[in-house]
Amino acid sequence: MKTQRELHDTLDFIATYASYLLGSGVHTSRVFRNSQRLGASQGIDIQLSSSLKNIILTARDTEGGEALTRVVGIPALPISFERNSDLSALSWDAVDEKLSLDEIRQRFDRLIDKPRMDPIFVLLTVGLANASFCGLFGGDLTASAIVFTATLVGFAAKQRMQAHGLNHYLIVIAAAFIASLCASAALRFDCTAQIALATSPLFLVPGVPLINGVIDIVEGHVLVGVSRLINALLLIVCIAIGLGATLLMVKDSLL
Amino acid sequence: MIVTDILLDGLLAAVAAIGFGAISDPPMRAFPRIALLAAVGHALRFCMMHYGGADIASASLCAAVVIGLGSLWLGRGVRCPMTVLYIPALLPMIPGIYAYKTVFSLILFMQSLGDPGQSMQYMQLFFLNATVSLSVIFMLAAGATFPIFIFNRRAFSLTRRKIPPVRRKQ
Repeated sequence: MKTQRELHDTLDFIATYASYLLGSGVHTSRVFRNSQRLGASQGIDIQLSSSLKNIILTARDTEGGEALTRVVGIPALPISFERNSDLSALSWDAVDEKLSLDEIRQRFDRLIDKPRMDPIFVLLTVGLANASFCGLFGGDLTASAIVFTATLVGFAAKQRMQAHGLNHYLIVIAAAFIASLCASAALRFDCTAQIALATSPLFLVPGVPLINGVIDIVEGHVLVGVSRLINALLLIVCIAIGLGATLLMVKDSLL
Repeated sequence: MIVTDILLDGLLAAVAAIGFGAISDPPMRAFPRIALLAAVGHALRFCMMHYGGADIASASLCAAVVIGLGSLWLGRGVRCPMTVLYIPALLPMIPGIYAYKTVFSLILFMQSLGDPGQSMQYMQLFFLNATVSLSVIFMLAAGATFPIFIFNRRAFSLTRRKIPPVRRKQ
């Protein structure tokens, strides 16, 4: 049987854990499963309900029957698959190694503090990725090279704007505009210019929320799934606005 | 020649998956497997579309199921959940060109409102491209998630250090 204090502490920790997972772009059913596993390792039954911005958690002491409920906001964190793996593994470790709450909390803090990938490395790989994407869509070498450069400029601009904490939608519009404007240089060369223009802002496509949204819907968390898809759709509309601005400027050379 | 085309397709898809995956910060140890899954999946879709005569949605579904099963198989070795491997691997298959054409035809539709014949043509193009984009994205995600429903016991314990005992029939 747990004291009121212990129940409080466990619920607080699991609420933070679940909000970090959801904030890092993990699909809903995994967050629920991991949180319940973590709760079970402490002898507490956890039930959750989630929207895109908040989670409601109820913890019930399986022996004493006492219950507590909390509502927590989900922080806007960058998507991180590494955190997804690490925190999922932590929930299994808690069960298998019968860890105490303090030990779990220490490990959690260590995992949260892990540095992210080097931004320059990410910049270069994204440039290469978009260039090869251009190749996949039938673009020639000149077009791929132009897309590589355009992506570097667009993605670097995005990173700088993110560091300044600008609104997410504005960032996407501006980055799509900058990248496609750079790629419109392809019109000057004898190459597959239209493919270069079309591929240049594709590094902004919110692939993870799109796929997560469908996964959530398929697994029965329809409301969260639809919210994710609408969110992703808004970002796609932003890309379209940025790209559209460039297309309006150069459309006569495209037709 | 055919083999070179297929290999080149796989290689480009692998590079694209690594780059687009890198934005979402996957663990370094997962990169080789993500690249492998993306290459196999994209090359399979390429073959089905170019040599098998399949349409883009059904070819994407098959490729996604293969990627999903592959992530279930490969996830244990690097202790990563399936989604960590298959979401980056699916990213190169998101139909970017169709999405672009959707936007472009919408802009041209707006520009040609005065000419009913031409604007209808652009509207038709808009719906055609939007339908393809949406159905391919749905097929990709649903196809890769499908193995979780069948092998859920294994899929839920990929990040577990201790391998769960196999449940035997009594």
